[in-house]
Amino acid sequence: MLQVISPGLQSSLQGRPRLGARHFGLPAAGPADSLSMALANRLVGNAPSKTSIEITYGGFSADVESDCTIAVTGAHGGIQVSGAEVPDHTGLTLRAGQTVSILPPSVGARAYLAIHSGFKSTNFKGSASTDITAGLGGHEGRALKSGDRLLPNGKAAFPEGFSTPVSLRPAFTRAFALRACESAETGLLDSTSRSALFETNFIAGRQATRMGVSLTGRPLLTASDGRMKSAPVFPGTVQCPPSGTPILLSCDAQVTGGYPRVASVARCDRHLLGQIRPGNVVRLLRRTPDVASERYSDKLELLNEWLEPSPDERAYILQ
Amino acid sequence: MKPVRIADDVFEITVDSPSLACALAEHLRSAGRAEDVVAGLRSVAVRFPPDEAAGIEAWLSTVPVVSGPPPDTGIPIEIGVQYGGDFGPDLDQICAALGLSHDTFIAQHTGAVHTVEMMGFTPGFAYVSGLPASMNVPRLGDPRPRVSAGSVGISAGFTGLYSLDGPGGWPLVGRTPDSLFDPQSDEPFRLCAGQRIRFRAV
Repeated sequence: MLQVISPGLQSSLQGRPRLGARHFGLPAAGPADSLSMALANRLVGNAPSKTSIEITYGGFSADVESDCTIAVTGAHGGIQVSGAEVPDHTGLTLRAGQTVSILPPSVGARAYLAIHSGFKSTNFKGSASTDITAGLGGHEGRALKSGDRLLPNGKAAFPEGFSTPVSLRPAFTRAFALRACESAETGLLDSTSRSALFETNFIAGRQATRMGVSLTGRPLLTASDGRMKSAPVFPGTVQCPPSGTPILLSCDAQVTGGYPRVASVARCDRHLLGQIRPGNVVRLLRRTPDVASERYSDKLELLNEWLEPSPDERAYILQ
Repeated sequence: MKPVRIADDVFEITVDSPSLACALAEHLRSAGRAEDVVAGLRSVAVRFPPDEAAGIEAWLSTVPVVSGPPPDTGIPIEIGVQYGGDFGPDLDQICAALGLSHDTFIAQHTGAVHTVEMMGFTPGFAYVSGLPASMNVPRLGDPRPRVSAGSVGISAGFTGLYSLDGPGGWPLVGRTPDSLFDPQSDEPFRLCAGQRIRFRAV
């Protein structure tokens, strides 16, 4: 069991996305970087979507109250157990009385701390993930606070020894090339804006949250009269408001919106949205939906050998 | 029906009205094949794992045109609203813009039968139609970071009901003391698309 000393900027319990509840207005929630969470879970013998701690910009520390096996993946600036540096992408056995700390990363945004058997979390509509906006699921429906005690679902000790194959460890940089498809209202962009969207660099705006990130660059002009009927949006949707600064939606995306949907980041690269920091470079690479689907299958196939997901867990690896 | 692929993992079908969108979404959801089925005001989107695109497209192409539900002739549910004051901080400005007294505004808002067209934007937010066309006020220039659960706003000819606390850009006219959300229930939100509502001043 862990007791939070410092949650850092924002930490929360995330697990399986809350699929099938968008018509209630509920976002998917779940990890902003589903692949990093799946890799962390693998190292402690869990299914890919077991509930883990998502840690934003490091600064997290917790007391270990009983022996447990954990693993940390994603973006961090070092992991320490009672002050001693320990590796990421590796199953670690912690002893009661020790302290685990995740230091702030210089590239990437979010780390994942998984524990054998997963963290206990409130289930709501088939998912234990924290919906911070609605205050549902997770640990009391909110981001973690100092003093929170996080219990495992079962026995938390697990024979250590796993480490992620080096070729499967995502490397984070300050630039993101994301494969993306045209969307329902791409046709409303004038031709210059349409090329700018897929052929120029954008800079991630000051707010890069679980809801989304704005992309500043050459403003995009749409032929919309601002009276579009509100239509469904999803994680990955790129909306273009009248300001011309597109917004790239992430895992906590609202369910409908009234701005033209000009692109959608492909599912194969969507896990990277959770690692974008303000000021990072973002480039959208145009792909047809069929090609994007093939890349999704390729990536899953590459990961399957290591993650060995059950059929019902397969889709949670890349959300 | 012709599904359009608007992402590698989403097909969208365009329909003529919010009620057709609701009926179609309900029908597709009941098949249990999609990750999510979401109705917009003129469309229904179906999300699926990208490697199932071919099967999903074939399925959607065979779905017959679903007609809207029969007009709801049952008694509308009643939602009490405390208009104005701290609960409706924008009521004065709206009334001034529309050239109405508070009493006239409230009489018009409570006089009509409204319909929940869509749940969305933020969790549990209901878009409700039924306002007189003359009540077309714009959204706030600066959205509020926090709007209390139960708040009632109007904008662009719709009433908006906030089932939960959350950010909000609609000018607020009042708040309902009624609970719109029960986390213990299988149907956690009291409002759902298609439901008819009558507002009552309390």
